[in-house]
Amino acid sequence: MKVGAGRLVTGVLAELADARALAEAAQRADLVQRLDEAVGRLRADDATVAVVGEFKQGKSTLVNALVRTDICPVDSDIVTAVPTILRYGRPPQAFLQVPQEDGGLASVPVGFEELPRHIAEGDKAGVRAVEVRLDRRLLGAGLSIIDTPGVGGLDSAQGNLTLGALALAGAALFVTDSAQELTAPEVEFLRRAMERCPRAFCVLTKTDLYPEWRRMVEINQGHLQRAGLDVPIVAVSSFLRMRAQARDDTALNDESGFPKLVELLRRDVLGAAAENKLVAARAELRFVVAQLRERVDAEQVVAAAPEAAPEVVRRYAEKSKRSAWLAGGSWQTVLGDGIQDLSADVEHDLRERLRIMVRRGEDLLGESDPRETWRDFQAWAQREAAAAAVDNLMLLVTRTEQLAHDVAERFGLEYDSLDVDLPAPELALRKVDELDVSFQKSGLQQFLGAFTAARVTYGGFYMLGAVGTFFSFAFAAPLGLLAGMTLGRRMIKSERERQVQQRRLQAKAELRRYVDDVGFHVGRDCREATRRTQRFLRDEFSARAQAVERSAASTAAAVREIAELPPEQRRERAGVLAEQRRRLDRLAA
Amino acid sequence: MSLLDQVRVLLDQAIAFDRDQRLIEARRRVDEPLRVAIAGKVKAGKSTLLNALVGEELAPTDAGECTRIVTWYADGRTYAVTAYLNDGTAEQRPFTRRGGAIEISLGRPAEDVEHLEVRVPSSRLRQHTLIDTPGIASLSTDVSLRTMAFLEAEGERAAQTDAVIYLLRHMHGSDVRFLESFHGDGLSSGTPVNAVGVLSRADEIGGCRLDAMEAAGRVATRYASDERLRRLCPVVVPVAGLLGAAGATLREEEYRILAAIAAEPMDQVVELLLTADRFAASGAQRARVLQRLGLFGVRLSIRLIREKSVTDSAALAKALTDHSGIDRLREVFAAQFVGRSEVLKARSALAVLDECLPPGSPLAADAERIRASAHEFVELRLLHQLRSGRLPGTDEQLAEMDLLLGGAGGAAYSRLGLPSDAAGGRIAAAAQEALVRWQNIAEHPFSPRELKTAARAAARSCEGILVQNQQG
Repeated sequence: MKVGAGRLVTGVLAELADARALAEAAQRADLVQRLDEAVGRLRADDATVAVVGEFKQGKSTLVNALVRTDICPVDSDIVTAVPTILRYGRPPQAFLQVPQEDGGLASVPVGFEELPRHIAEGDKAGVRAVEVRLDRRLLGAGLSIIDTPGVGGLDSAQGNLTLGALALAGAALFVTDSAQELTAPEVEFLRRAMERCPRAFCVLTKTDLYPEWRRMVEINQGHLQRAGLDVPIVAVSSFLRMRAQARDDTALNDESGFPKLVELLRRDVLGAAAENKLVAARAELRFVVAQLRERVDAEQVVAAAPEAAPEVVRRYAEKSKRSAWLAGGSWQTVLGDGIQDLSADVEHDLRERLRIMVRRGEDLLGESDPRETWRDFQAWAQREAAAAAVDNLMLLVTRTEQLAHDVAERFGLEYDSLDVDLPAPELALRKVDELDVSFQKSGLQQFLGAFTAARVTYGGFYMLGAVGTFFSFAFAAPLGLLAGMTLGRRMIKSERERQVQQRRLQAKAELRRYVDDVGFHVGRDCREATRRTQRFLRDEFSARAQAVERSAASTAAAVREIAELPPEQRRERAGVLAEQRRRLDRLAA
Repeated sequence: MSLLDQVRVLLDQAIAFDRDQRLIEARRRVDEPLRVAIAGKVKAGKSTLLNALVGEELAPTDAGECTRIVTWYADGRTYAVTAYLNDGTAEQRPFTRRGGAIEISLGRPAEDVEHLEVRVPSSRLRQHTLIDTPGIASLSTDVSLRTMAFLEAEGERAAQTDAVIYLLRHMHGSDVRFLESFHGDGLSSGTPVNAVGVLSRADEIGGCRLDAMEAAGRVATRYASDERLRRLCPVVVPVAGLLGAAGATLREEEYRILAAIAAEPMDQVVELLLTADRFAASGAQRARVLQRLGLFGVRLSIRLIREKSVTDSAALAKALTDHSGIDRLREVFAAQFVGRSEVLKARSALAVLDECLPPGSPLAADAERIRASAHEFVELRLLHQLRSGRLPGTDEQLAEMDLLLGGAGGAAYSRLGLPSDAAGGRIAAAAQEALVRWQNIAEHPFSPRELKTAARAAARSCEGILVQNQQG
């Protein structure tokens, strides 16, 4: 399969190169640049697979065994605290992702010997993620792997953060060990994970330790089926894989179950990613070919019937003029209005979520003495805040996706309305019209090309930050010494009640401060993301509008030129055009 | 009059006043053994641990989810099974034993059965009844709900158990929530003294390597110092239930199978023990041994036999039991539950009284009086305060107070932190010394008020030890 995908990529690359030559011949530097960027994207390796699951299920060991390394620290007690991203790179290098003042992340190089400490402690030192570049075949094939901290329950703050990161991953490996069947929280987590990342696989680890692992596969299959989740299960033993590697023992490697997992990653994850990239590259190719063909079409018509030239020139001059409006066309209004609606809605959504959270938090505090329940309350609040942030971001992603479609649709309508009817029906090649029809149909996707809402929204970061922290602060002290001696029993009782009230007020104030804080940070991230989206869409479609305008202008010029040629040169030119036309048709097919 | 006697009298008075079925039930329960539930997430090894504690293969175990009905294992003259149904009736059910495990034919859907009671003639069940519960976080939601409904002291309803052994494999949010709900009568009055944590399936930690139990010990220590968990169950004991159960029931034939493997050449043995699959595939008998001992158990046994540390099945059984940590659990169990069974039972009974008596009635006032005056309750409350970090004082003071209040067991020596064979004179001297120290703290003008109250209670505990020491 990998080979097949590779051959397809080679084919598309050749087509892109051919289109580039044509664009160059037509002196369209802007189209050449578009094609070069498309080639770059097609070659870029970006299929990310996230390894998720409860802790102590063997996630880090699985990652180590998968890429044959010992980078991810494995211990019977210590757990992974920050996400570790493994991708291809030579020589091997490691970086820490550290948040900066301005909210961005900076990569700080770090020695390999210090990695385990950072991965296990992580957050305490402010490290957001660890990135490791290794020279391994699987990584070289374009895969990057994220080892995530164990979720510790679906509704923990960490669980929510992991879910948030899944929107960016091409696939998720859900890890559970053979010691026991899937639990209800695990299945629930898997279900929510698949809403964000539909390509998921369940990896059953530690098969070397449990003789009954085959039954566990069956039981889990039953559970998943009943839950309506279509998730294939792969059973592996990381221990055997490591041992097989140490001894260079192929049979043992087969016994470990890893070849099947690697095959799955290559075929279903890398293959699917390659497919998406191919679709995007083809869309780009079509856009460019459409631009180039316009001119060839018109030239061909005029070459066959020079008397039509003035009319064709007039039409294209007209089109060129109208194309100039396209740059500031109504798609701009759609984009502007859409962005405003989107940011208002997303902001309102966040405010609403946080408002409900504050209200529920205050109810909780009202029922108890904060001094007793403060720690649990903090955990609750962080969980809720993480869930609110992640859901809010997800809304942003869906809305961005929708907006991009709306803009593309409007752009497509205006683009189509620019179409020029060519005269001289008796000479134009009739069959071409059929091809034209297929162009219109895929119009939308043609304009969206490589756009991925999640990627633009997340701005390339894999992990959300931790959702802030509470101040650790002392509650009003218990009754003091003097009060204890001078106040009567009843007074003490009422004093105690007063103090509980005071603590509640204090706790509520802290809750509000915390929620404000979360609201500020999440809100800022969302505004950033919205701005990124707006800029991206504006630049993208402006560039296309300009390309269209240039096409019309250059067509008009070319038509004028060819009309003025002496007859035999025109015939010669017609031959060249026919050849170009054939090449373009082949590319468009 | 002892605490439990006071509660008995009160219950009798209440029954004379109002023949409420709940009160009659509570009165009977006072004279029954302590009820200890074994709870935990699905597949945490609850049934296996129960078998290890009783030393007999009773509860059926399986790789898949197995226990679906709350089952009580109580002492009895002969083996007998009674099904208590949801409609309030009870009936005897026939059962068979397969390989020791009791298989009950229900004759009706499991949903109709409220709980099962299995009578077993066993000295180990004389002081306490063990209750096996279906796992929480199970995918069969009704099964999880049953356990929660059974163990939770929800609202006004008093819990049906006096204490709980909670099995953790690794600490998860759902474990903490469960333990919180078990202290359902509000964190302010709930106590961490009726819960013991068990780090179960300890042999599997770190890939069944031979140092698994040491690693498990480290993990358990870390859990015990985790503030959140500590407030809910202060002691966490690592236990390999499978090893314990196997140690209690090891057969001569199993020893022979293991010894035969141990006699093979080293490299062959290593290859064989590499994975569970390989070992199971090498023979049906071996597969059964693997099922009984687990991979760690098999690896450990073979090493012990090879090193000639054990030479017969009795020695191997003892070694397995030693490694399983089950003895340590029994000790903790005795200190935390059995030693405290009076106060735990009294506590449960008082909870029922609260539920049944109209507030403000003279009997309710009596119940309140018992609760407020009994020193045992004072100790429980203080222990809870202390362990949730709400008592001022230095670390040494707090550690000493934890012991004095009976945190590590109610016996005089454990309260004073002395070895279990300490002589009476030494105990008296230590208690006297502690008494003076705590009285000083109680009277010192600069001690914080809460510490003073606690110090007075600690001094009272010292006096109790002295009195007890003179009498005994």
